Amino acid sequence: MKKTILIADDSESVREVVSFTLINAGYNVLVGVDGEDAMKFLDGKEIHLVITDLHMPKKDGIALIKEIRGKAEYQYVPILFLTTESQVAKKDEAKAAGATGWIVKPFVPEKLISTIEKVIR
Amino acid sequence: MDRFKAVFFEEATTLINELERVSLLLHNNPSDSSIIEQIFRIMHTLKGNSTMFGFYRIGDFTHHFETLYDYIREGKMSVTDNVLNITFASVDHLRVLLTDVELENSVHKINHENLIRGLIEVLNGTSGEESIKNNSSDHKIENKVSDSPTYWVKFVPKKGLVRKGTNVLFLLDDLSQLGATYTVSNTERLPDFKKLDPADIYIYWEIYVSGTVTENSIRDVFMFVEEDCELEIRKISETNLLDQDGFSAIARDVSLSIDEKISKFGGLVTNSSSKNRMKEVRSKIEKANEKSIVTSKDNSISSIRVASEKLDELMSLVSELVTTQARLNLVSEQIASSELVSISENIEKITRQLRDNTFSICLIPIENLLVRFQRLVRDLSTQLNKDVVFVSEGADTELDKNIIENLADPLMHIFRNSLDHGIESGEERVKKGKPAQGKILLKAFYSGNSVIIQIRDDGKGIDPEMIRQKAISKGLITADQNLDRRQIFDLIFLPGFSTAEKVSEVSGRGVGMDVVKRQITEIRGEVEVESVINEGTTINIKLPLTLSIIDGLLVKINATHFVIPLGNVDKCFEANHEEFVDKINDLIILDGEQVPFIYLRDEFDIKENCPQLHQVVVVKQDDRRVALSVDTIIGEYQAVLKPLGRLYKNVDVISGATILGNGEVALVVDPNRIIKEYIFNQINNEVLQ
Amino acid sequence: MSIENLNVSNSYLSFKLENETFAVTVERVHEILEIPTVTKVPKSPDFMTGVINLRGNVLPVIDTRIKFGLAKTDFTIDSCIIVLSIMMENEQITIGALVDSVQEVLELSSEKILPSPALGNKYKAEFIQGMIKNDEHFIMVLNIDEVFSINELHQMKENTSETII
Repeated sequence: MKKTILIADDSESVREVVSFTLINAGYNVLVGVDGEDAMKFLDGKEIHLVITDLHMPKKDGIALIKEIRGKAEYQYVPILFLTTESQVAKKDEAKAAGATGWIVKPFVPEKLISTIEKVIR
Repeated sequence: MDRFKAVFFEEATTLINELERVSLLLHNNPSDSSIIEQIFRIMHTLKGNSTMFGFYRIGDFTHHFETLYDYIREGKMSVTDNVLNITFASVDHLRVLLTDVELENSVHKINHENLIRGLIEVLNGTSGEESIKNNSSDHKIENKVSDSPTYWVKFVPKKGLVRKGTNVLFLLDDLSQLGATYTVSNTERLPDFKKLDPADIYIYWEIYVSGTVTENSIRDVFMFVEEDCELEIRKISETNLLDQDGFSAIARDVSLSIDEKISKFGGLVTNSSSKNRMKEVRSKIEKANEKSIVTSKDNSISSIRVASEKLDELMSLVSELVTTQARLNLVSEQIASSELVSISENIEKITRQLRDNTFSICLIPIENLLVRFQRLVRDLSTQLNKDVVFVSEGADTELDKNIIENLADPLMHIFRNSLDHGIESGEERVKKGKPAQGKILLKAFYSGNSVIIQIRDDGKGIDPEMIRQKAISKGLITADQNLDRRQIFDLIFLPGFSTAEKVSEVSGRGVGMDVVKRQITEIRGEVEVESVINEGTTINIKLPLTLSIIDGLLVKINATHFVIPLGNVDKCFEANHEEFVDKINDLIILDGEQVPFIYLRDEFDIKENCPQLHQVVVVKQDDRRVALSVDTIIGEYQAVLKPLGRLYKNVDVISGATILGNGEVALVVDPNRIIKEYIFNQINNEVLQ
Repeated sequence: MSIENLNVSNSYLSFKLENETFAVTVERVHEILEIPTVTKVPKSPDFMTGVINLRGNVLPVIDTRIKFGLAKTDFTIDSCIIVLSIMMENEQITIGALVDSVQEVLELSSEKILPSPALGNKYKAEFIQGMIKNDEHFIMVLNIDEVFSINELHQMKENTSETII
């Protein structure tokens, strides 16, 4: 069965690249343009992984991670966040909020897939 | 990837525009933390995206910029004029970077380096120690790798690891991907069954890995969980121990510490194998084959972005449809089949709806232009050392995108004029009893089928007498010519009027208001000036909602068809030929009212086949009404406007052409122009008399 | 259809204005049309015959005879419109040139084109690119960018249209 991945990012190009890569790798992809938008998908349907940006208007990544962890049915869903090398403090904050791991930008498609495969298979 | 790059460029452009808009807000509210946060976020996105697409120059540049705003939002710095200046310079430079991503142009390159240096200086100036670290991440070369060393890994998960979505088995599985592994599970931490929480992990592992592994590649496996576990990694041999007889017995012996184990392992014979690598390759191939290409996507979309060429194409197709529909109408009337007529009428209705829908798609709000003006006002007022605030009203007023595109230049020119010549210096203003801060207002609103844009400043205004004198001295009018106020202000738009005596750096680049007028006329707009001395100047621009199709009245004079825009048509009458010819005054009585008329046969120099009975179309423009005589009025007509081309650019009473259902070309008249010319001619006649 | 290729072309379309034969390089010729309904644009000079519908676009038509000092064209069965590309102020535009009749397409090597005589020519020197001797007749090869240049057109226009103010 195909796994479903939810992406939350306010950047269209990131959304495009990530969703294109994931679809080609055989995943189902749901796309939210910010944290608030992404929450709409977390309505009980099965989601195997969430990938979120940290900086977003209308509910940033940290808030999104906390909210997801607060929902019983998504308590254990792996969450990866997108980050850059320089954001050490943010990384810790996101981890503390309950994120599973991170994807460092910039990334190439292979790297994205291999990181995802660290947490779901 | 090119497809994505196009998305990147489009998005980057939007981000930079947004950055400019927000920076202008910052200019007015330098301590607003939400604005600072927004700038930081834009920079962050831009940086992430550009590096993702391999545009390292942009990435590097935005990194410095991001750092600057990171300092600001953390309160390590404040928004100074210097910061604002460098911000705006960076906005400009980012636009340049989008067109020259590799900085092949040396001027761009120097500018790039200067700006980065400037950014670094700004940063160093405030927080001495924390200078900028270069973003380019040096990849450390790994220590020399032996063929197949063996590592010992002790992995003790902390409670709560699972709550972060981590699956421990995946980690062990990942380790086994690195090479041959031997895993020892240790259950000594397991509590009494009653105390056991199923969501926690009590087991820990010791894993022996051998293959082409390094400490870093092992750490990589645990990168997400480093803080959530105890992790110990040691290289215990340069060779593969796992294949050695007696290895597992030692490994499994829980009574031994790792140091003791290492010394025991040392006694085992060393020999390595490369079969692990085979295994690894095989598993990778299998994995690759598992992937299937799927293209389902179930996200709902509320709005889409469309390339503007597609809209242009849609518009031209709709235009073709409108033309073809006119032809269908004509043919169905000729055939006189009632069934065909009703189908044709139905199609006409649909065509009209489709046309209106397509129009509305092509409309964009004036807001799109405002950032440029805000920027201009900011830059110029700084340059001229004047304090000027820019205010806009009705920014959501929508216009055809092609009109918006062509409006930027003339409006910029008007703004420059206002800032340079209109608004006085602070001292001068205070002396006059005005507030020291000048104000420029842009106001947009709908008026019937048009959009009005007003640009109003509260500067020194223009003296009509001065305009008159200047026009006389330039030979544009004669000293005895009697012009009313509006006509005098219109003189400003004549070619040759505004070749300023002193060419200023700001507005006087040899471009006069005649160019502004021409540019606005090209998009079928009208422009007027109104000014009161010491109160300010207002420029009124009237624009059509769209450029491509108009509702008109189709008329005929001799063999030529003309279209009069319906928006200008007031009433229609009939009148005898005699009422127009040999009259002392050009007035006709219609409905008991005296209306000035223009006998179009004379105006257009058409003499053949003059009918006895004329039809009259009364057109109005603002408060003026003029009757135009035609041979016959045919009826309402949707005209798809076609340009007449540059050969006819001097024929201004005709604004364009349209193709009729029978394939003939009809000419679209510009009633406003005819009215204006008529008034000018009248004045000239008065002068002559 | 590219203007850069002008020099390598050696095909010319010849046409008649009254008794004189002229030629233009076929590189610039899009097509030849029979005369459709022409719509005269008011307030435009005489040599600008009007506009026609060329497959949904508006094409300006110029009376080439008037440009060469002849009387206005009377439409005959042979009259036609040559659709040409010309360069005007660095922009390529399409116009229709009204001529009495088209003759033939001549294949010539460029050395067959003789320089036009400097003196005694009744046409403006800039108009003529060179001469071709065809049997006993001379054909004048036109420099169409000059003939239909905007300055030329406006110069003629100023004589006919009134100035406002």
